[in-house]
Amino acid sequence: MADPARIKTEETPQTSTAAAGSGSSAGATAGSGSEVDPKPGESSRLTVKPEDDGIGKESSTDRIKPEHKLEMSAGDEEEGTSGQPASKRLKVEPEKKKEKRHKVDEDEIQKMQVLVSSFSEEQLNRYEMYRRSAFPKAAIKRLIQSITGSSVSQNVVIAMSGIAKVFAGEIVEEALDVCEKWGDTPPLQPKHMREAVRRLKSRDQIPNTKHKKIVFH
Amino acid sequence: MADEEEEPGFEEEPEEGGCADVFHGRRKRLFSKELRCMMYGFGDDQNPYTESVDILEDLVIEFITEMTHKAMSIGRQGRVQVEDIVFLIRKDPRKFARVKDLLTMNEELKRARKAFDEANYGS
Repeated sequence: MADPARIKTEETPQTSTAAAGSGSSAGATAGSGSEVDPKPGESSRLTVKPEDDGIGKESSTDRIKPEHKLEMSAGDEEEGTSGQPASKRLKVEPEKKKEKRHKVDEDEIQKMQVLVSSFSEEQLNRYEMYRRSAFPKAAIKRLIQSITGSSVSQNVVIAMSGIAKVFAGEIVEEALDVCEKWGDTPPLQPKHMREAVRRLKSRDQIPNTKHKKIVFH
Repeated sequence: MADEEEEPGFEEEPEEGGCADVFHGRRKRLFSKELRCMMYGFGDDQNPYTESVDILEDLVIEFITEMTHKAMSIGRQGRVQVEDIVFLIRKDPRKFARVKDLLTMNEELKRARKAFDEANYGS
């Protein structure tokens, strides 16, 4: 059964290699919830491995564990040596916030797992395509560099491909709305796409620097 | 303006440049395969129409072009940096959240890989 945990760990190597960013567009909340998973999953895998190797155990795990803690807390205060009540109070609040955030993430992960485990075969296929499809980093990099004329960093390529995927998702979703409203069936036809673009333009979701609006005349 | 001279020069290939709207892009289709998978993932049919895929590709390329031009005009001129992209996207909650997620995950993966390599280096 394909559960998000498995799909995610398959994808994270893909994110790192040239292939692509794992995709989630419309379900931004779903995406953010499920992508938290590699965090505990991956770092816990790492803390296990050096112990298995058995060489340089203490130092490497000690080094990894504080990083692991950093990743888990993501900038929050560290739990640890307590002091006066005042500082304890301060520490309890970030702890509560961290716990709440973890709980929300955990809840979200749980819900996603329950949801995905109840998918039909067709839904699983579609979900897999949704997560795995991405723009090729090389082509995006070439495109951006041909516009700027200078080289761009890898993060820019990652960010741009991610945003482009969200953008494509917005258009397809709007086009599906149009299609349904007009009483047609998928596959989407160009007229649906064009109407979707027209609607998104009126909502200012499509950037357009070609036509300058005259504000005061 | 220099920007506007660049744009039609660049988009001569896909849109204007003598051809009617019939042939979009003497340039080769860059994202046909990936866009098909993406459209299926987003809810379209398993085999989307080629014309729809073409329209979507043109839209995506125009989007990337616009964003790149905007990013070049803010912050450090003439260069595209991540901060500029994040700034441009700030009003759109979905895209903003997605970019933040992607960059955070990339950092974590880099850290994890580095830690893993250092651990292996010991052995």
